[in-house]
Amino acid sequence: MGRTVLIFRLVLADVRRHKAQAAMLLLAVAVATATLALGLSLRGVSDALYEQTRAATAGPDVVALSGDTGPAVTSALASLANEPEVIAHHGPYRIVYADLTTRDSTASPVVVQGFAETPGAVNRPLLTSGQWVRSGGTVLERGFATALGVSVGDRVTIAGRSYPVVGIAVTAATSIYPWAAQIGPGGGPSDYSGLAWMTRSDARALASSQDLSVTLALDVKLRDPAVAEAFLDAHRASTLRVNFHTWQFTAEQDMVILRDSQPILVVGSWLLSFLAITGAAALAAGRAVEQTRRAGLLKAVGATPGLIATVLLTEYLALALVGDALGLVIARLAVPAIASPTASRIGDAVGPTGATVAAATVLAVAVAVLSTLPPTLRAMRTATVTALATTAHQPRHRPWLTALSALLPTPLLLGLRLTARRPGRAVLQACSTATTVIAIVALLTLYAQPERGYGLNGSSALPNLRGEHDRQLMLAVAILLIALAVVNTITLTWTTAMEARVNMAIARTLGATPGQITAGLSTAQLLPSLPGALIGVPLGIGLCSLFAAGNSTNPPSSWLLGAALATLLATAALTALPARLAARRPVAQTLSAETA
Amino acid sequence: MNESSAVVRARGLVKEHGQGQSRIRAVDEVDLEVPQGQMLAVMGPSGCGKSTLLHLLGGLERPSGGEVWLAGRRVDALSERALARLRRRSLGFIFQAFHLVEELSATENVELPALLAGRSRREARRRASLLLERVGLAGRARHLPSELSGGQRQRVAIARALANEPLIVLADEPTGNLDTAATLDVLRIFEDLRTAGQTFVIVTHDERVAATADRLVSMRDGMFVDDIRLAGTGTGRLGGLIGLEG
Amino acid sequence: MQDAVLAMLAKEPTHGYGLRARLRQSLGPLGESMNPGQIYVTLARLEKAGLVVCERADGLPERPERKVYALTPAGQQRVAAWLAEVGWPKPDLAEFHLKLVAAAAARLADPVELVAAQRRELLRRLREAQHAALAEPEGSAAVLLLEGVVLRLRADLRWLEACERAWSKIDDKSEDA
Repeated sequence: MGRTVLIFRLVLADVRRHKAQAAMLLLAVAVATATLALGLSLRGVSDALYEQTRAATAGPDVVALSGDTGPAVTSALASLANEPEVIAHHGPYRIVYADLTTRDSTASPVVVQGFAETPGAVNRPLLTSGQWVRSGGTVLERGFATALGVSVGDRVTIAGRSYPVVGIAVTAATSIYPWAAQIGPGGGPSDYSGLAWMTRSDARALASSQDLSVTLALDVKLRDPAVAEAFLDAHRASTLRVNFHTWQFTAEQDMVILRDSQPILVVGSWLLSFLAITGAAALAAGRAVEQTRRAGLLKAVGATPGLIATVLLTEYLALALVGDALGLVIARLAVPAIASPTASRIGDAVGPTGATVAAATVLAVAVAVLSTLPPTLRAMRTATVTALATTAHQPRHRPWLTALSALLPTPLLLGLRLTARRPGRAVLQACSTATTVIAIVALLTLYAQPERGYGLNGSSALPNLRGEHDRQLMLAVAILLIALAVVNTITLTWTTAMEARVNMAIARTLGATPGQITAGLSTAQLLPSLPGALIGVPLGIGLCSLFAAGNSTNPPSSWLLGAALATLLATAALTALPARLAARRPVAQTLSAETA
Repeated sequence: MNESSAVVRARGLVKEHGQGQSRIRAVDEVDLEVPQGQMLAVMGPSGCGKSTLLHLLGGLERPSGGEVWLAGRRVDALSERALARLRRRSLGFIFQAFHLVEELSATENVELPALLAGRSRREARRRASLLLERVGLAGRARHLPSELSGGQRQRVAIARALANEPLIVLADEPTGNLDTAATLDVLRIFEDLRTAGQTFVIVTHDERVAATADRLVSMRDGMFVDDIRLAGTGTGRLGGLIGLEG
Repeated sequence: MQDAVLAMLAKEPTHGYGLRARLRQSLGPLGESMNPGQIYVTLARLEKAGLVVCERADGLPERPERKVYALTPAGQQRVAAWLAEVGWPKPDLAEFHLKLVAAAAARLADPVELVAAQRRELLRRLREAQHAALAEPEGSAAVLLLEGVVLRLRADLRWLEACERAWSKIDDKSEDA
């Protein structure tokens, strides 16, 4: 018991002493775990939403679609309805292919389904506003209506005729907007379309008035929904030119719009963790001496290696776990907005599954352990006497650094020679920059993809929701990565400046101007960013190509070059600020404080 | 004294710390003139303000009042940048704690001021080797400060202070951290430099160092209380030191 | 000085001028101002006290430097006793202290001024000893002697600083009174 209290007290004291570091680690882990949890939850939430919609609308287990019309098809479909596994059915009903135009001239392809005025046993679309179809009016599917910006009472023009919108509803029989057309006219390929309902007679009149294409559909409810696939296999060969969509297939199709979201979030969370580790590792290295001394103290009073390791790691682990919890909460709150970009499904989001929580926790623990492992191991391996006597970081001579710096102009020479105590930090800075550039390249790649709008003939009057969703997600992830990288850079620069302050004061007594010192400090941080930015571009392109479809285009090189350059300039500005503050401290004070 | 021959001049120099009730004067209305080639020692108990005086003379601190001239130029009102440039050309500093850059070898430390002043790499390196030879450390040129003894480190600091042929060398307790043998080494170097005409202001509480100077000023509570000329006094009286009367 | 001369004869009988040479060498620059005749006076005194005896005279008897001196048994005893003595030469602090007290009491002079004057003198002596030490070649035995002189002077200077502080305070107090 006493041991736990001791550890608790030590951790609390440490956190209080290094408040800013603790907050940074906590937030970074929270953001990384939130992103990961979001990414892993998407499928689960999407499925849950479909389930709830299916339950609320009595969704069919199998939908049979035929590209032909005529008595032969109608009787074939009717015979399907009489199969022993089928306990209920709806239809066959007509699907008409037309164009819809709103009042502000936004046009979209639409499939109009002819339904009875009283709903059947299967496929009862749930009204979210207004009322069900009546003669002369139309009900729009909710995802479609949201995309068009149409509400109950507005008028729309379908195939030249004006109809009032009398209601808005959702259904589980078709995929989400804009894949409402499950097959195209005559059984061919389908276009991005919205879904609307009319009365049977209105649909028939619509089709014949302009000689529009028509297909037939039949909704079927099975005794055992789980064997929908088997039903499909059994009947595929026997009927002519009929497509079958099981409910599992439709549920699967809901994920298409999120196809890219998952990798964006999951890989984004890895990149965020990477940045969190680089930042925390740099700060942990700065505290290495303190930790070594603590390990020596504990060893001297007889603590076991296990206890020492626990004390050293607990602080970071505790912070990481708190961040993990925070991240999971954030993910839970944010998931409804991300998992359902269209309004086509209803229901509440479910909490993260056990697997997701486990994965997020593993990530948090990994961040904590990887950040503190090197200094902790070193602390535990140092002999007790050495550990107790450790004062400051022991300098090592690096003649190659001197030779390199002699090639540079004076301020840069100063910067390298006086601040390069820890080359490891340069590597961390390079990693930070590389990660940022990777994120920006991914963002640019997404923006560079050509895409078809959901409007008529691919017009972008109706935006491509999938592309938009991907870009928004990628932008959010990129902003988080950039924010983390900014914090990392400022912290690294400030820490370096603080450690080098005596050398800086010495340089000023030798006649270095504050401007030269600022430039030197800034350069020492900027130089490692150069290779980082250069590596980031091909890495980013490579990463995108891993997840992209075969026909994706790369962004133009001018964009990529611009991104790398902008990152470097931003880094220069960020390092200059703390450098300038540090370079102006009074010299005499710094020197006397050192000797005191 | 001819004003133009004074390397460093101070008039009414004042440095105050603290506010209101607890305001203290570290340096209180000090007038000082150091002509070319003079070695001036400033002695006094700790806390008397002698280190502060040195910092004020070297532009490391700004005075609260009064004026400082360096080589005929008024320095207390210069910007940091101009001050730094002036320091490059005219001043060499030696500190009690040596203040060498730990990550650089002896040669790299000594060539630092020359590089800052814009000399070429080769020129700076050449000059550094010469200076290290002059202080007797040619064999230790590539050693890090942590591999050198206290006396050797201070000699490197002296070489560094001379890198840009300064008008005046300001030394703050140069032998404070050294043992007797190292102190003698440093004093020998100072003596050589003095005969070569280098101007010095040395702050010290070691009487041996003070005794090597041409002129000794005693300081107490921020003010000068005594000004002794030591140069050119009695020879041939050495026997009297051990009681041998002539 | 007498005991030192005696001890120098302990190794072997020596000429007068040989003794003088050895003394000068041991004292280094500090021995340069030694009165050349001093040593012969000392030797004469020692002879009179029966501690040394003149063995022979090479050359003319009137020239004292050619006399060869040697220790008598009494002289040897004296040398042994001197080597075993642990007394340390006395610095003359009491006299200076009394000087200050008397000056203050009789208002003859300002004690602080006296201290300052004495301090200047000691500093000058320190400077000379310092220069001498620096001028000596490496490994010379005289350097050790000079170091002792320097250390003594430093100690005395510290004491003088303390005197100055103390007497200034007394001055201030008497002014306030």
